Amino acid sequence: MKIERSIRNDHIARIEGKAGIFVKIGEEISAKINVTEGPRFFEVITKGRRYDDAVAICPRICSFCSIPHKLTPIEAVENALKIEVSERVKKLREILYLGNMVESHILHLLLFAIPDYLGYPDAFSMTKDHPELMKIGLEIKNFGVFIQELIGSREIHPENAVVGGFGRIPEIKHFYKIGEMAKNILQNATAIVEFFTEYEYPSYVNLARNHLAINPYNGYGVYGEEIKTTDDLTFHVSLYKEHIKENVESYSFAKRGEYKGKPFMVGALSRLVHNNKFINGTAKDLLSEYKKFLTPENPFANNFSQAIEIVHFIEKIKEFAEEIKIRKEEIVKPTEKSGAGCAVTEAPRGLLIYEVEIKDGLIEYMNIITPTAMFLPMMEIDIKNMAKGLWEEGYKDTDLIGKKVEMVMRAYDPCISCSVHVIKL
Amino acid sequence: MSLKIGVHGLTSCYGCQLKMASVKEIINIARNFDIKYWYMISSKGEIEHVDIAFVEGSVTTKEDERELKIIRENADILVAVGSCAIHGGVQGILFGEEYEKAFKEVYGDKKIEYEAEISHPIKNFVEVDYNLPGCPPEEDEIIYYLATFALGSYPEEKDYPVCSECRRNGYPCVLIEKNDCCLGPLTVAGCNARCLKYGISCIGCRGALEEIAWFDSLAKTFKEKNMGEEYVKSRMEIFGKQYEKMEEMLKKVFENED
Repeated sequence: MKIERSIRNDHIARIEGKAGIFVKIGEEISAKINVTEGPRFFEVITKGRRYDDAVAICPRICSFCSIPHKLTPIEAVENALKIEVSERVKKLREILYLGNMVESHILHLLLFAIPDYLGYPDAFSMTKDHPELMKIGLEIKNFGVFIQELIGSREIHPENAVVGGFGRIPEIKHFYKIGEMAKNILQNATAIVEFFTEYEYPSYVNLARNHLAINPYNGYGVYGEEIKTTDDLTFHVSLYKEHIKENVESYSFAKRGEYKGKPFMVGALSRLVHNNKFINGTAKDLLSEYKKFLTPENPFANNFSQAIEIVHFIEKIKEFAEEIKIRKEEIVKPTEKSGAGCAVTEAPRGLLIYEVEIKDGLIEYMNIITPTAMFLPMMEIDIKNMAKGLWEEGYKDTDLIGKKVEMVMRAYDPCISCSVHVIKL
Repeated sequence: MSLKIGVHGLTSCYGCQLKMASVKEIINIARNFDIKYWYMISSKGEIEHVDIAFVEGSVTTKEDERELKIIRENADILVAVGSCAIHGGVQGILFGEEYEKAFKEVYGDKKIEYEAEISHPIKNFVEVDYNLPGCPPEEDEIIYYLATFALGSYPEEKDYPVCSECRRNGYPCVLIEKNDCCLGPLTVAGCNARCLKYGISCIGCRGALEEIAWFDSLAKTFKEKNMGEEYVKSRMEIFGKQYEKMEEMLKKVFENED
């Protein structure tokens, strides 16, 4: 007798944006992620607009990573128009970026991922039984929000960061406060790492894979201009089109990335796989203690990696905040009116690439590749393997399989709004 | 009995919901409401009858439209949250032929199983009771709306511009002093002139006012600064392409000879 079942959830809860999973089980097992959120054509919207207006539109691609979607196009425009900002501005941008990283990671872990681990439908109901966990998590979140409001003007869609610098640079006293806050929440972040070390990863999703991550400028960070791969290639971001291709499938509004014709992974795990030697301080101690949780072949290690990154970035922010010297600075104006430029950064969910061409101050061409579009095909494979593994082990309850495949999806922390801003290649 | 609420997202950046979720006292505030549906945050619940439904995002697919109608049928009060829901959002810039062209440019001749359409504000499909503006809305306004509903009252929308908040706070005028094309005089207040505090000109993210107060002097200023109608329009379009009074407003601003 042929057994056929399908699991269909048209709208997955607790992710950013709108997507469904469709898993078919039987003699053959297949999995599809249907991105049903409507397309938003950001590359077309920004065309013909002034570059400063265009970079103000980009953050609207995604609220969870609105800082990366502001700072990356700013860098691409600055590269195109040969604008050189001061070291101070660069440092401030990095603090702002890391503040977003800390907030995005903790919100994802606390609101989206951890309820699965503890068996609750949401963080609100989880709070009743685990008030302390929620409290320490929200303190970390508030730290990230404080930084983004201070330097970016607000946590979502930061208008203070502009091409050439900042509208206004905050006073030094606020940076003392950042240092103090960082000191106070470090133990919270350690506790979050330890939370994830109490769980084993499901082995069904073990699979060797290619990880792509940035080759960071100084230590473990988000800025750089080269991309590293697991098969030992390092290429400059300006050559991204030669290495990363994107396809369209009829069942999804999102485009889908591949590297050398194959799916690949980006994100916190990929960063740690490539750059763990640059991790220092408390995060380094934790990483050596819990080394076995950093498994390149298992996507569940991504949640652990996010937790490690929170610890590392809190200490990094503290270090930056303590050494920064504040002075008033004018916004640097471009000397060129036309040009082309590329930029890559590490957004919370992985590599984010922007390419721009500017003519007489107006955007002629913009191309954006987001991390979620890059890892979608890899996520589908992991979802399929999860369903397959459970099914072959004898689990026939489709509800249970459904819950488990959703956990795979949440391990990746997909950002659906990002993936359907729509890419043109 | 606490009020039953639902929070929904159509097509957007999910920033309004994120802002609601990250309100500092959210855990304490949430205790006073019975949250029946909030899919971004919770995997429990089907759409059911609620006292108030908050809707973020614009309608860009048939599915969005269908879902929005179900939300409306099941809500006593419907609040449009943020620029996408109220005005169609930045994705609403593409209209008519421009939209068709964009779709073809991006997807080629590839057929997608789901139907996509131009980004519309939700009022084009259902009756909206209140607007909670912003991109994203401000924390104090979210709390104000929730609090008035909880008290059995209703929120009042602001009918004055960002410009007046900026004047009240005593920030330097970027339009006059820095020649920046500031949309503060045309934009709904409520952000306490957040960007002007940083010396950044207003991009109009909260949406245009129903009535403009000072178009005479504004027109004069734009003119003195050599800011052409085309540029002012392209800047206003970012958040207000589908704003019905745009032409009328521009006319008032630019055709008002000395």
